[in-house]
Amino acid sequence: MVFKEVLPRKGLLYQEDNMPLALCRPKLMPLKSVTLEKLEEMQKSAIEKTKQQQQQQQQQLAQGEASTLEGSRVDIHN
Amino acid sequence: MDPLYLAISYFRRRKFQKCIDICTNLLEANPYDQAPWSLKMRAMTEDVWMDEDDGEEEVLADLLFDDNSIAMVARPGTSLRTARPQTTGQTGPSQAVRPATQSGRPLSGVVRPGSQGGRPGTVDQALKTPRTGHTARPVSAATGRHVRLGTASMLSSVNGPFINMARLNVSKYAAQPTVAKALFEYIYYHENDIRHALDLAAQATQAVQFKDWWWKIQLARCYYKLGLYRDAEKQVRVSIQNYYYYYKILVVTNTVLNILPFSNIVTSIPTYLLGRISVRLDQPLAALEVYKSGLEKFPGEFIIRNIFRIHEGLHDLQRAVKIYKDVLIYDATNVESIACIATNHFYTDQPELALRFYRRLLQMGIYNCEIFNNLALCCFYAQQYDMTLTCFERALSLADDDCVADVWYNLGHVALGIGDVNLAYQCFRLALSSNNDHAESYNNLGVLEYRRGNLETARAFFMTASSLAPHLFQSFYNHAFLANKTGDLQTSYVVIKKSLEVFPEHHDSKELLKSLQSHFHAL
Repeated sequence: MVFKEVLPRKGLLYQEDNMPLALCRPKLMPLKSVTLEKLEEMQKSAIEKTKQQQQQQQQQLAQGEASTLEGSRVDIHN
Repeated sequence: MDPLYLAISYFRRRKFQKCIDICTNLLEANPYDQAPWSLKMRAMTEDVWMDEDDGEEEVLADLLFDDNSIAMVARPGTSLRTARPQTTGQTGPSQAVRPATQSGRPLSGVVRPGSQGGRPGTVDQALKTPRTGHTARPVSAATGRHVRLGTASMLSSVNGPFINMARLNVSKYAAQPTVAKALFEYIYYHENDIRHALDLAAQATQAVQFKDWWWKIQLARCYYKLGLYRDAEKQVRVSIQNYYYYYKILVVTNTVLNILPFSNIVTSIPTYLLGRISVRLDQPLAALEVYKSGLEKFPGEFIIRNIFRIHEGLHDLQRAVKIYKDVLIYDATNVESIACIATNHFYTDQPELALRFYRRLLQMGIYNCEIFNNLALCCFYAQQYDMTLTCFERALSLADDDCVADVWYNLGHVALGIGDVNLAYQCFRLALSSNNDHAESYNNLGVLEYRRGNLETARAFFMTASSLAPHLFQSFYNHAFLANKTGDLQTSYVVIKKSLEVFPEHHDSKELLKSLQSHFHAL
């Protein structure tokens, strides 16, 4: 006796989504050790300090230039 | 109030800047007063003092031109250099589960100055790693972080450096035991002038007739910094003899006077230094021996932490975990151990246990982006969905430029978990917008593009990911899979080989290689 296959014409079609590709895993972030935090903090403050100094120097330079310019103007007027 | 007294008080309360200011004023009034001079020196030293136990940055020159390691082709398991993740016989989560760092080591719970670089296996890899902005490695010891800090601190003082090294009369101060030690530490930590420090130490140890173990240790540290490891080792070994003599006296006096346990007073510095030298010579097993013998003499000392770091470096995670737990017996608030145990639990499929450890860290007062990100991930995988997004929001609000990309990346995983592919796509995109070198995001974006049917875009993403992070097997495998599917068998074969080089045990890669080989045989 031969069974005939039964293929339903209606109904929901299920398909298992099998991902063939590999995703990278979620990443727990390593905590920073105290030393590393201190190092980074010190680096940051050092950078800020040098920036401030540079700004001050630039300002001083600009002021110096301005004063010499004024002086030269006075000379011209004289 | 007497200003000097006030300065000392500030020093004790660790308000170094105020202490330094008062001392500066006092010195302006009387430049030859040694009390404020040495106090200022000590305050400046304490201000920049670093715990060297956390390891120092390994610089590129050391890695490339390292002629100190004894065995160039070391047997497996005996070298930190050749330690491969998940070689046969080792236990612990595989690379497919636990992500690796750029140097190919499994992700650790804590990042230290010494662990940022790791030891890349080849010159090629070493040169590649610093290309990404986030783990830039200094090129030589002369451009390391400490030196940069030293020059920066000099810049910031208006009247030039506090002590002019070139004009310092070393032999005069070496003979003064009250000042010499403070001066040495100042030169060593603040000025980073190792050659002058070495000079001072050498003369000072002569001045005390070679009897003080402290000076020998300092000599060894200077030699260590200068890369003269064998000389350093010799000094430490000599100093250990003096040291144990001193140590025994301390033990006796302590038991007689019945005061605090001695480990609070003396620590096992020589042992620790000896171990570090062994690590530098790439002899991790010798270092382990040194530490273990040290622990017999000083049970529960801080050197136990170095043991688990070595195990971690050798990828022997199971042993490392055992030692993290031992550390917690002695010091229940050790952040590094708690974080490492939590990481290990998370990647061995026990996120709820990891959650408990991270919660403990939060209770202990650690409040930063990393901890909230980890809490959020643990909550999500432990099915406590109500907390997940709140934690991520907190993490994002606390994140700075360095870590915001990782938070978005992890958020993308949560979005994938709840099936919101669009949100995941946006999250990975955001991760890339804050860190253009985030290889994991490129890979996952590639996977999403593949799902959408944009095979060319996906291929481009995979290629970018693998060029940015040659330690990721996923991007290689995905690229090979895609090439195989589009009929480019030759590329597929080349790339899958790379994947297996990174992760030899990867099952899918092996299968793909096998099918490719059978294809080629048939031809």
